Formats: sequence, structure tokens, C-alpha cells
Amino acid sequence: MSARGDASPVSPSSCSDLIFPLADTRMNLKKYFVRALHRLQKGPGYTYKELLVWYCDNTNTHGPKRIIKEGPKKKVMWFFLTLLFASLVFWQWGILINTYLSYDVTSSLSIGFKTMKFPAVTVCNANPFKYSEVKPLLKELDKLIEAALERILQPTHGDPISPLLLNGSNTTEGLDLELWNQIPLVLIDEQDKDNPVIVEIFETNQSAAGNQTAAPPAPTNVTSEEKKYKLAVKLCSHQGSNNCTYRNFTSAAQAVTEWYILQSTSILSKVPLQERIRMGYQAEDMILACLYGAEPCNYKNFTQIYHPDHGNCYIFNWGMDKEALNSSNPGAEFGLKLILDISQQDYIPYLSSAAGARLMLHQQKSFPFLKDQGIYAMAGTETSIGVLVDELERMGYPYSDCTMNGSDVPVKNLYSEYNTSYSIQACLRSCFQNHMTEICGCGHYMFPLPEGVTYCNNEDNPGWAYCYSSLRSSIRHRQICIDSCKETCNDTQYKMTISMADWPSEASEDWIFHILSYERDMSTNVTLDRNGIIKLNIYFQEYNYRTISESAATTIVWLLSSLGGQFGFWMGGSVLCLIEFGEIIIDSLWITIINIISWCKGLKQKRVRAQYPDMPPTVSELVEAHTNLGFQHEEASAATQGEALPPEPGTPPPNYDSLRVQPARNPGTDSDTESEEQRPAANHHEDASVRAE
Amino acid sequence: MAPGKKITARIKKTLPVRGPQAPTLRELMRWYCLNTNTHGCRRIVVSRGRLRRFIWILLTLSAVGLILWQCAELLLNYYSASVSVTVQFQKLPFPAVTICNINPYKYSSMKDYLSELDKETKKALETFYGFSEGKSKVRRAAGDWNGTESLFLRQIPLLRLENSFRTAIDFRSGRKRKVEGSVFHKDSSIVNSGDSNDIIGFQLCDANNSSECALYTFSSGVNAIQEWYKLHYMNIMAQIPLETKEELSYSADDLLLTCFFDGLSCDKRHFTRFHHPLHGNCYTFNSGENGTVLSTSTGGSEYGLQVVLYIDEADYNPFLVTSSGAKIIVHDQDEYPFIEDIGTEIETAAATSIGMHFTRSRKLSKPYSDCTETGADIPVENLYNKSYSLQICLHSCFQKAMVESCGCAQYAQPLPNGAEYCNYKKYPNWMYCYYRLHEKFVKEQLGCQQICKDACSFKEWALTTSIAQWPSTASEDWMLRVLSWDKGQKINKKLNKTDLANLMVFYKDLNERFISENPANTIVILLSNFGGQLGLWMSCSVVCVIEIIEVFFIDSFSIVMRRQWQKAKKWWNDRKRDRTGKPPEVGDEEQQGHDNPACIDEDLPTFNTALRLPMPQEGHLPRTPPPNYSTLRLETAFTEQLPDTLEAEQH
Repeated sequence: MSARGDASPVSPSSCSDLIFPLADTRMNLKKYFVRALHRLQKGPGYTYKELLVWYCDNTNTHGPKRIIKEGPKKKVMWFFLTLLFASLVFWQWGILINTYLSYDVTSSLSIGFKTMKFPAVTVCNANPFKYSEVKPLLKELDKLIEAALERILQPTHGDPISPLLLNGSNTTEGLDLELWNQIPLVLIDEQDKDNPVIVEIFETNQSAAGNQTAAPPAPTNVTSEEKKYKLAVKLCSHQGSNNCTYRNFTSAAQAVTEWYILQSTSILSKVPLQERIRMGYQAEDMILACLYGAEPCNYKNFTQIYHPDHGNCYIFNWGMDKEALNSSNPGAEFGLKLILDISQQDYIPYLSSAAGARLMLHQQKSFPFLKDQGIYAMAGTETSIGVLVDELERMGYPYSDCTMNGSDVPVKNLYSEYNTSYSIQACLRSCFQNHMTEICGCGHYMFPLPEGVTYCNNEDNPGWAYCYSSLRSSIRHRQICIDSCKETCNDTQYKMTISMADWPSEASEDWIFHILSYERDMSTNVTLDRNGIIKLNIYFQEYNYRTISESAATTIVWLLSSLGGQFGFWMGGSVLCLIEFGEIIIDSLWITIINIISWCKGLKQKRVRAQYPDMPPTVSELVEAHTNLGFQHEEASAATQGEALPPEPGTPPPNYDSLRVQPARNPGTDSDTESEEQRPAANHHEDASVRAE
Repeated sequence: MAPGKKITARIKKTLPVRGPQAPTLRELMRWYCLNTNTHGCRRIVVSRGRLRRFIWILLTLSAVGLILWQCAELLLNYYSASVSVTVQFQKLPFPAVTICNINPYKYSSMKDYLSELDKETKKALETFYGFSEGKSKVRRAAGDWNGTESLFLRQIPLLRLENSFRTAIDFRSGRKRKVEGSVFHKDSSIVNSGDSNDIIGFQLCDANNSSECALYTFSSGVNAIQEWYKLHYMNIMAQIPLETKEELSYSADDLLLTCFFDGLSCDKRHFTRFHHPLHGNCYTFNSGENGTVLSTSTGGSEYGLQVVLYIDEADYNPFLVTSSGAKIIVHDQDEYPFIEDIGTEIETAAATSIGMHFTRSRKLSKPYSDCTETGADIPVENLYNKSYSLQICLHSCFQKAMVESCGCAQYAQPLPNGAEYCNYKKYPNWMYCYYRLHEKFVKEQLGCQQICKDACSFKEWALTTSIAQWPSTASEDWMLRVLSWDKGQKINKKLNKTDLANLMVFYKDLNERFISENPANTIVILLSNFGGQLGLWMSCSVVCVIEIIEVFFIDSFSIVMRRQWQKAKKWWNDRKRDRTGKPPEVGDEEQQGHDNPACIDEDLPTFNTALRLPMPQEGHLPRTPPPNYSTLRLETAFTEQLPDTLEAEQH
């Protein structure tokens, strides 16, 4: 006890222990840690070997037990087996986790018939406006193209040298050359491949000065094969500038159509929407008869929508203001039957060369993109369309890169003004229109307008056609749009089986036309003919749906059961075994700490012994101490310690916590003057005194 | 004991235990059950009471049964495949589009080759059906007829059959004659005999053996005449060299009036000529021949391929082709266009719009399904220089059989090495041979259908075809005029609406659907499932399996062997003793002891001794004594450490 007292002034309580309560808490903390250490020390063993043996004997994993239980040779075998299985388990776990993180999906396919929503049916006329209505607007244009055709077609019969430049003055009378010169058509004479000659169709003041090279006199013996004229559309960035491109066409027909579309869009874009709707086909003129299942319907059941390509379109069962209709029976008897009149006489001759109705089946509340997915129905025929709904339901992120409702797509959806849902076509078109308004300063007539932008026309935006056609052929812009638009996760397509028959038959022709004319126009004269009338049957097939739905191939449950399966298969282990293993690692850590501490202590003891000359250690002792430093074997070290320090078993009492703590507290207050450097020495003193006891 | 024996005994003692640890099978089983890692077995040993033990035995056995059953299921289902569908929106490669005129060669230029045949055909029509053409050919030559040798009809006589196929009227001679040989109905096997008067057919005879004849009958004269004509036509065409045939057929300028792709104008340079034996010159758009494949990044009809075709209906062969229009096929650049098999017909005076939807499929090959990746493993030489497909294989297989059995190649398919096309002059027998062979082929007797497998991956363009009137009545006038002008730079002729066909091929959407089969199970998953089953029923693992092998096979076997050895030894010793009268008991006991370390102890071998046996190291034993008691050790450990830890905290 006296030794204790001696040691107290130089006790380890440090200089900071000035204030009592603070010192108190520190002591409590120490106590706590000491107790924690006690508790943790109650492990299975005190050496690594014991620990391992204990673990192997008590673990629930299958391999290690055998290592202990078997003889030396088998031990080696079992050791390697266990090692092998453990590595197998880890390898396969790696594969499983990788599989899980790849987010694979499995698809399930179901086919059958069920009551389904009848698709929305959009019907349009291939021709957007009645020619009789738009004639005043397009009169100038028609005159121009007629005159131009007159001139183009002329030389084939005449002499080989182009006579286009001659007698220009008398035919150009009454033509709106201003309109022509905005987007002119030119002839390209390719007799000489390397040096094509551009020939203007109408001689005007501007063209005389411009890029027209003097036509070289063609050799008189030109055979008809070699003579090759091509029609091209001349597009300039603005009028009179030299920054022009010639859009070549192999066929004059194509060139004329293209030119006419460019010019007419410019004219029509100035017409207000109401007027355009009026000029189009009215529902009551177009939809002559309608029957859905057994229920009669009429043009009032159709929703009118203005489609820039096709004028007035009518959508049956769009589901915008009413619930969508269901169809619960397959077969033509239960589908939609329509009789349409497209009145082919009233077509705009240069705008659309194909005649028929354009129709499309699409989902409720989606915008019909007729140019992409529409089909034609021919006049004078009955077209039967069997429908199979092909649905694809996909999982969103992270399984696939699709969008649920388009809200995460960085393109402003311009079609939302129709109150329709997102679709990839809408996105692509919106993207194009956004580019167009950015670059050309005006919107294209075929697509909806963003806010505060007007449609392009020749007067306000003279270079729009040039701008538009360069934008349209720009691969880069298309790629940007493709990259920024995502497809929808739920994709519904309507697979159609189309068949056609002549309708009405010759025998029934008379009375059918009579009745339909009477119903429409209240006249006894037949106002319809074969060229305008179309019958449509749209119905569900015997199997009306094919659904491919995705589900995650690997869920967390799958992952866990597979991990468990692997672990169980090779080693018979479970999560508890992992916890066991973790426990062992903690234990061995403690053992390491203890060993390090005792090693440190051994080092100090050695130093202390070296300091005391009166107690010189024998050589054998030194050697012993030296060799024992690295000893991890508890037994051995304990034995050697006992040998080196015989009173060791007697030491515990003074080291009791209670004893140590109390004297350390009181003198701690006056020991603050002691410098930091002295402390290690003091410690040695203490140790020495303890040992001396 | 001799020193040598002593040493061996010691060695045996210290050596690790080899083989069985228990002396008897019963002990071994008991040891196993108590120490095994599987769960059921221990219960059997530990349980008290006969009923309880019985129940545990039953449960354990049923668990083993369940494991075996479930694992067998897992193994059987290992080679199953699951299907995955991916949809990708992207820039799609445009497929190759092959366009042919239905009529293979210009009739006007074929006149030189076919005039004789046509004359005879007309004659036959007149004789059988009283058909005579209009005024223009009124100078049909009754006189000519008798003068010329009716070559074609002699080769293959056309016959009208009567009396249930037993007699026939020969067209040429007008004589009745008896029909020999078998009768084949080309049209259908159900020809009702009621209108047997109208049955017409032709007879093919083996040239070497004229008694061997086959009679082909058709329910309709239309089919009979066409088939008969076709046979002769192929004969004639087989003799014309390819270059000449290409010239006889349509040129790209003839066929294509306008072309428009992806919003830009295109011309004949974008088309590759491809000569099809039955359809003449076909033109493939985007064939990828110059290494580039066009692609579209926008769907819709404007951005696809738009062509106006010139179908010169007046120049059609009246007997060979009875419909008019064009045929197109959408295919991959590597694929051979089997236009006669899967082509789509295009109507004249109409705009045909074809919306495409692209699907790519991939099947898993060998163990999963019977398909081939490249076709290299199919023993049929690919005669087409295109990538493998089932069609190619079947056609090549037939051609090979044809060359083998008839000596010449069929006209409609490519030539194998060193063979030539059949013609009547060189191979008078080929038609009979061909028909016979074709019959066999259709009946799957040639084995082609068995040899040929389908390809594992294929691309498919699903087409939605719709037709509109074109040109519309309003635009007809200027359209025809302008198109005539386009064309007119070559031909001075006003085009007719029915000479034209408008064709649009476009992507409906740029979604690429990729359907692929994936293995449903990998080896990892199979093992996991095994592990799950084993663990669920018996808490077993591979270790247990090894244990079972060890105990039940190796150990039990050695115990049994030892027993047998001892018995044999005893018997031998008994015999020896009987002979010598000297009892060698000691040796026997020793022997036994050496063999079995467990028996070295005088005590009866108990379970515990058996248990301790595998740890023979004596050195370990002192390790356990009292000083190692944990209570003691704990204290020492702490007293030693306490100051250190405190210090460590202070520092």
C-alpha cells in the first residue's frame, strides 16, 4: 500500500485534471472502458490457436469442424477442401451479385381474347382541303405550275436546243412571277456531266444577271438518250442572294410535287385555323354511315381534329370527353363499320397524287401520326381490318431506358395542346419544330407552334424554305432529336390484317349509291360514285391481345436465396455463420490488441530492468525476454513471465481499479506542475515499485 | 516382441488413422450419425423410444427422397431458355429492297426464242378448247402447223383423259391410247371423278425406258398449260447464256421511273442488279454492295423509299405470267431474296404503302434448341453466296440431289460446281427425273428437311401493306404527262395509268424489337438451387456429400474388407492348426491389433475411444491442464493489462 502512496504523486493522472468534476467524469470513463474490456475479453480463447480451434469446433459451417476432428493427413485434405469451397462460394457470390446489378428482365407473353377498349380510329381524307374551297388561294400557284409544265414538256417534241428562253414575254403574262421567284423551279441540262447548265424556266430580270451561264450550243446530232434534263428546286437563303442550293430530283413529278408543297404551305400558313377547318371536309359530308356493333352511330360520334397533313380528321372513340367503348366479341359483326366518301373530284391536283382515305388505329388520348402509322383505304373497295392489340409493358429505370409519361424528356412536348399523351413521334416532331423556330425563326406549318412563334411564309421569312430543307437533311439535328427522345415504357401497337374486296358490287351499286346520296344530300340524284366511296370494317380478331410484359429477373429475394443456396451448397452455412465469423474476427482483433499491449509492456520491463543496475538481469533472462517478445503463445509467454517475474501471480491486488483510482485522484491536483517529459519516467517508477512489492 | 515389430507397432500407433475409425459397421454408423453435419441422422440416434426413432427415420428418408426428386427436376430443367424482349429506339439500318417485274423478260425481245413454243401452245389451246386469238394473229397457220415438226408436243405430249384415267386422247395424233404408268395429280389429290372428262395432263416418260411413264393431271387446263409451258420455257432458257438473258430483261432505266429516299432524290446507281432465273432482272435498293448500308433516322412515309415503277404490261409473256405488276421483297443485305417464295405483289395504277416494323430474333443454339449459327455445321453446300438460311439450305439440298440423280442442275437454282443447267438436248430425261425428284422432295423422302436446320438469328421486317388509288383522278392528267416526259427522254410514248405502280417502303417507327432467348439457368443458379434444396430439407452441403461418400463407401468398405480378411485369416489359421496342431493365437491377436488401432486398447472399443482416436498427438494433451482454466487466465490477463490500457488512454 505504501508503494501505492509513493507512486501516487507521479501517477498517470495528467496535468489537465485540475477541476474535480472533470476528473470525476474521466475516471468514470476509464472505468467504463475497463469494464467493456472485461466484457469483451470473455471470448472463447486467449490465443489465436485456441480461438481458431474453438471456432472450428463450434461453428455451424460444415468444413472447419472436420479439420479439427480428423487426423493430420485428412486434416490437410479438409483444410484445402474448406479453402476451396470458401473460395468457390465467394466467386459464385460475385457472379450472383453481378447478375443482380445488371438488372435483367424476363418477359412473359400472353395471348388470348378479352374484353378490351376498342382502339381509337382516325379517318382522314388523303387530300387536306376541298379544291373548290381553296381554289381562290391556290389559283396563282396553279397557273404558274401549269405554265411551267407547258414549257418543260414542250422541248421533248421540239428541237433539242432548249427553247425555254425564247418567247418568254407572251406566256408569262398574268403570272405572279413574284410568287414564282420566291422558290423557283429550274431545269438542269446534264448533257455535259461535269458542267451542267442551269436553265431558268421563266425569264425574269433577276435571273438574267445571276448564275445562268450562257447555254453552249449543243451538238446537233444529240440522240434522244443523251439529252437529259433534270428538274430542280432552287432554294436561296434569301431572295437575290447567291447562297443557293439546287435540290435535284430524278423525276420531274417529284420535283413538281415538292415545289407545290413548299409553296402551298407558305400560302396556307397565313390562313387562320378556323378558315382552314372550313375549307376541309366536313364530317357530315365525309362519314356517310356508321355502325358500331349493333348500335348505330353517326358523324356526331366523331371528334374533329385539324391535322396539318390531311386537313380535317375525325376520330372515333378517342376517349377525350367520354369513356372509351369496349368490345367484348371478336368478328366483323361486332366491330366498327363505316362508309366514307372522299369525293375524288375535289382533290387538289398537284398536292396529293394518291387518292383514298387515310386511317389509323391508335390508343385513346394519343395523337394520330398518320404519316408514320396510317394506312390507306382505296376508293371503290371494302377494306376489312382485323385488329390484334400488341402491348409491350416494360419496367422503367434502371431496367430499361424508357419514360412512363414523358415528363423526364428534355424536349417540350408541343402536342400537349391537343391534350394527348406523350409519344415518341410527338417528341421527335416537337424537337424538330423547336430547332426550326430556333434556327429559322418561324415554325413549320406541319407541326404545332411553340408559344409566341408564327408559321413560316414567303413574305415574312423569305429564306425559310432553304432553312427548312437544310435542317431537314441535317443528320446532326436528327441525331440530337433521336438522342433526346425516349420511347414510352408501355407501347401499344395495333397489328392489322388487311384484306380488300370490290365494293359496291355491280349488282348492288345502283341502289346503294341512291340511298347514300339521298341520305346525305336529300336529293334523288346520285351524287356519289365508285371513285369516292369507301367501306371500312374494323374489328377484333379471334385473339385480340398479345401482351409482352417485363418483370425483373433478379429481385433482392432472388439474390438472397441464391446467395444462401450457394453458401449452403458448398459449406452448409447461413447468415449466422457469417456473424460467427465476424465475431471471431473481432475476437482475434482483441487478442492482437492484448498481445501488442503485453509486448509493449514487455519492452518497458526490459528497459526498467536495464535501468536498475542493482538488479542486473542474467544473460539467460535477457535472452529469454528477448525471445519471448514475439511470443504469441499465451501459455509460453505466461510461463516465461512467471519465470522472469516470480511474484507475478501476487501482483493483482494492488492493481484493482478501486485502489488505483482513489489515490490517483487526490494527489492529481498537486501533481500538475510535473512536466510532460517526466511522465514516462514516472511510469517506469510506478511499474518498478509495483514489481518491487 | 521383436524390436522390428515394436517399431512398426509404434509407427502404426502414431500414424494418422487410415480408413475406418470404428471397428464395426454399426459403430461407424453411430459415429456418423452423431457427428455428421446433416440434421436428420443425429435425431435417429439420439431419440429414445422405438416410435419416435421410427418417425425420425421416416422423416429423414422422405427428406432424402425429396432432395433427390427436386434436384432431378432442377437438372432436367437446366437446358430451358427464357425469352427477353428489348425495344430500342434508334437510327435503324434500312433493309435491302429487291424489286422485280413479274414478267421476267421482254416478250418482244424473246420472240426469237419462244415463237415456236408459243405457236404450239396456241395450237394446243385451239384443239382442246376451241380458243383462237383475235384478228391480229388470224393468219395462224393451219398450213404452217402441219409443215413444222411439233417438237415440243412430241417431247411432252398433252393428253385429255377419259374413262377414269385409263384412256387418253393424244392431242397431236388425236388417237386414243392406253395410259400406262402411275398417275400424279398435280393440283390436288382429291380430283373428283365426276368431271373426269375435263381432266387434262401430260405424260413424262423415262427416255431410257419408255415403259416407265408418269402422267401428271390437272383439274384445270389453265394450270396444265402453264405447267407444260413452263417446262419447255425452262428448257429453252437453260440454253441461253446469262449475259444474253440479262440483256433480254429489263434495265434499271426501264423499270424505275422515279426514286426518292429519306427525303432525297436517288437514281439507278443506288440499285444493284440481281438476276433471278425466274423473274429476270431484279433491282436491289441498298444492297450494301459498295460497303455502305443506308439508314434512316426518321420514320414515316416521307422518309422511306418511294419509287414509281414502269410496268410495261403490253410486253408481257401471255403464257408464262398471268398477273401484272411488280414483286418486292424486303430483306437483309446478307440474305438472298427468295422473291418467288415470299415476295409481295404490287398492283399497277395504285400506290402501295408498306409500313415496316423491325424485329430481330436470336435463338440459343445447341443444347437449348436445334438451330445453326452460321450453317457451317450443315452438310449441305451453300450454293448461294449469301448468309445461311433454311430456304437456302433446302434449295441447295434439292439442287445437289438433282445433280446427283439427274446429272444436271435445275434452272431456278444456282449451279453447283461443275454442273450445268438441264436442257432437253443434252439430258432428254431430265424432266421426268425432276418431277420424280420433286415429288420425293415434297414428301420429305430426300432427307433435306431433316438435314436443314433453321438459323439461330434472323431479322424480320413485318410489313403492313395498304393500297390507295394512284394517280387520283384529279392529278392523273398532269402526273402522266410529267412522268411521260421523264420517261420520254427515252421512249416516245404516252404512259398509261396501268403501266405504273407507285411503291412506298418506310419504317412505321424506329423501334427495334429484339427478341432473344437466354439460358434460364446458369451453372451458378443451378448450384444455388441445389444448395437451397439440400439446405432446406437436411441442412446438407457438399461437405455432407463428401462425408457420406467417406463414411458409407470408403469406411464401410474397408470395415467389410477387414472383416473378410480376418475371417479368411482365421480360416487359414484354423486349417494350419488342424494340420500342425500348434495354436497361433497370439499372432492372430497381434495381427488384428496392428490392423486396427482401435483394438490396441484392451478395453472394448466404445464410441468415445473411436472419437478420440483421430487426434493422436500426445503433445496436445498437456495443453488442457488446470492452469489454462479460463477464470484464472482472465484475471492474470487483466492485472497485467490494466495499467497499460489506462496509460494508453491518458496519452
